[in-house]
Amino acid sequence: MIIDQQKIDEAVSTIVGYGGQNILNCIQCGACSSVCPGIKAGFPLLCRNLIRHLLNGELEEIIEDSSSWGCQACNRCTEICPRDVRPQEVVFAFRRYQANELAFSTSSVTSQMNLYETGHAVFTDPSALRKQVGLPETTPTSAYDDKAKEEIQTLINNGPMGELGLF
Amino acid sequence: MEKIGLYLGCNIPMKAPDIEQSIRQIMPPLGIEPVDLQGASCCPAWGTAPSFDLNNWCAISSRNITIAEEQEVDIMTGCNSCFGVLSEAKHFLNDPERRKAVNTSLAAINREFKGTSDIYHVAHVLHKKVGLEKIRENLKYSLAGLKIAVQTGCHTLWPSDVYKVKEENPFYPSILRDLCEATGATVPHYSRLESCCGMGGMRSTDMEKSLVLFKDKLMSIKEETDADLVVTTCSSCFLQFDMSQPILKERGLIDFEPIPPLYYTQLLALAMGCDPSQVAAISQIDRSGIIREIQSEKRLIKEVA
Repeated sequence: MIIDQQKIDEAVSTIVGYGGQNILNCIQCGACSSVCPGIKAGFPLLCRNLIRHLLNGELEEIIEDSSSWGCQACNRCTEICPRDVRPQEVVFAFRRYQANELAFSTSSVTSQMNLYETGHAVFTDPSALRKQVGLPETTPTSAYDDKAKEEIQTLINNGPMGELGLF
Repeated sequence: MEKIGLYLGCNIPMKAPDIEQSIRQIMPPLGIEPVDLQGASCCPAWGTAPSFDLNNWCAISSRNITIAEEQEVDIMTGCNSCFGVLSEAKHFLNDPERRKAVNTSLAAINREFKGTSDIYHVAHVLHKKVGLEKIRENLKYSLAGLKIAVQTGCHTLWPSDVYKVKEENPFYPSILRDLCEATGATVPHYSRLESCCGMGGMRSTDMEKSLVLFKDKLMSIKEETDADLVVTTCSSCFLQFDMSQPILKERGLIDFEPIPPLYYTQLLALAMGCDPSQVAAISQIDRSGIIREIQSEKRLIKEVA
C-alpha cells in the first residue's frame, strides 16, 4: 500500500478528536487483542488491528466495517495495555466517527429513539411484570417523569445526536 | 441505617423487576436503606450517546449523578453496564476542561455536576459496607452442599483505575465468590471464570458470534464444575444465561438441561426467606426445582437460643 502522511495525520486527528487521545502511544504489541472478547468471537477490526489500519491512514476505507459495534466496552484491553493507549477509547472514537457519518446499523436506531422518548435505551411496558412481583406498576425513572424526559431531550438536542437529525 | 441511592437503569426495572424487588427486600435487614433516584434515566447505554459523543455521554451520566448529589447519597446499581458507564463518565469528568464543558450543557437544565457522590455496584455494597458476617447472620436457609458457578461480568472489573471498589486481581475476581460462599455454598473455580458471556453490543451486532462465546463459557462451567446453578452480579449476563441456554438446547448444541441462573441478590433473598413469587419469579428457564431446594426445610438454620 502507499503510505500517505496527510491521510495518516487526518486519521489520527479524527480519532484523537473523538476521544482516542493516546493512539500514538501504540507499539502494536497485540496485548489488547490477546484479551479481547470481540476478536475471540471473530470481529476482524478491533484493538491492535484497528489501530494498525488507522495508523496507516485508513478511515473511509474501513467505515463500513461493523466490528467496532461488536466491542463489548469491557476494557480488558485498557487494563492490560503496557503503553496506556486505552484501546477501547480508540475503538469508541472510531465508532463515533462512523456514527457521525451515519455509518451504523439500523438496528441501533431503536435504542436511540427509546432513549430520546423515554430516557431509557431499553424500554418495554413493565407494568404487568412489576405488578406480578409486588412493585408499583411504574418505575421512579424518567419513563414516567415528564420533567426528566424534557431534561434528557434538551441534553440530546444540544449535542451531536440532535444535530444528526435522528429524532 | 445508611441511605444509598438505588439507580435502576433499564433492564432490571423493565425486564427483571424481580431482581429490583430482591434488592429492595434484602437491603434494610442488612442495614442499608435504598432510596429512589426520582427521574433517573438510562446510564446511557454504550450503544447510545457514548457511541456518538464523549461529552454528551458525560452530560447524560452526570445528570443521573446529580440526582444523587441533591439527596447527598452515593449511588448503588445492580446493572454492570450502568456501573461501568457511570464510573467511566465520572472518571472523564476529573478532566477540568471536560467538566467545564459538561457543566455548561447541564446549566441548560439547571443542574451542576459536583462529583460528591460515589458509584457502587450492589455487590460492592454487600461485600464492603454490609460485610460477609452480617450476611451470614441474616440467613434463614443454609446453602451448604450446593455448587455455584459464578459470573461476575465485565463492567465491575475493567478498567480498574476508574472504579471506587477494585478486585485484588480483576482477571481472577473473588468478590462474588466470597458473597456466594457466605451463604454456605461451594464455589468451584473454572478456567473461563473471567471470560465474557457475549451479551451486550456483541449480541445485538451479531448473535451467532455472541453464542459462540457464550457456549465456550457454558461448556467450561458444565464440564469443570457441574454446577447446580449459575449466580451472577450482572443483569446482562443474567439475561444471556437465561435466554441463550434454551437456544443452544433447541439447536442440539448442548446435551444437558439449562443450568438455572440467579442474580446474586435473588439467591440471597431466597436464602433469607423472601417470597420467590416476588424475588425470583421471571425467567425462561424453569427455576422452580432449585428454588424449592434452596428453601427446603432441611436447610433451615436453627435459631441459637
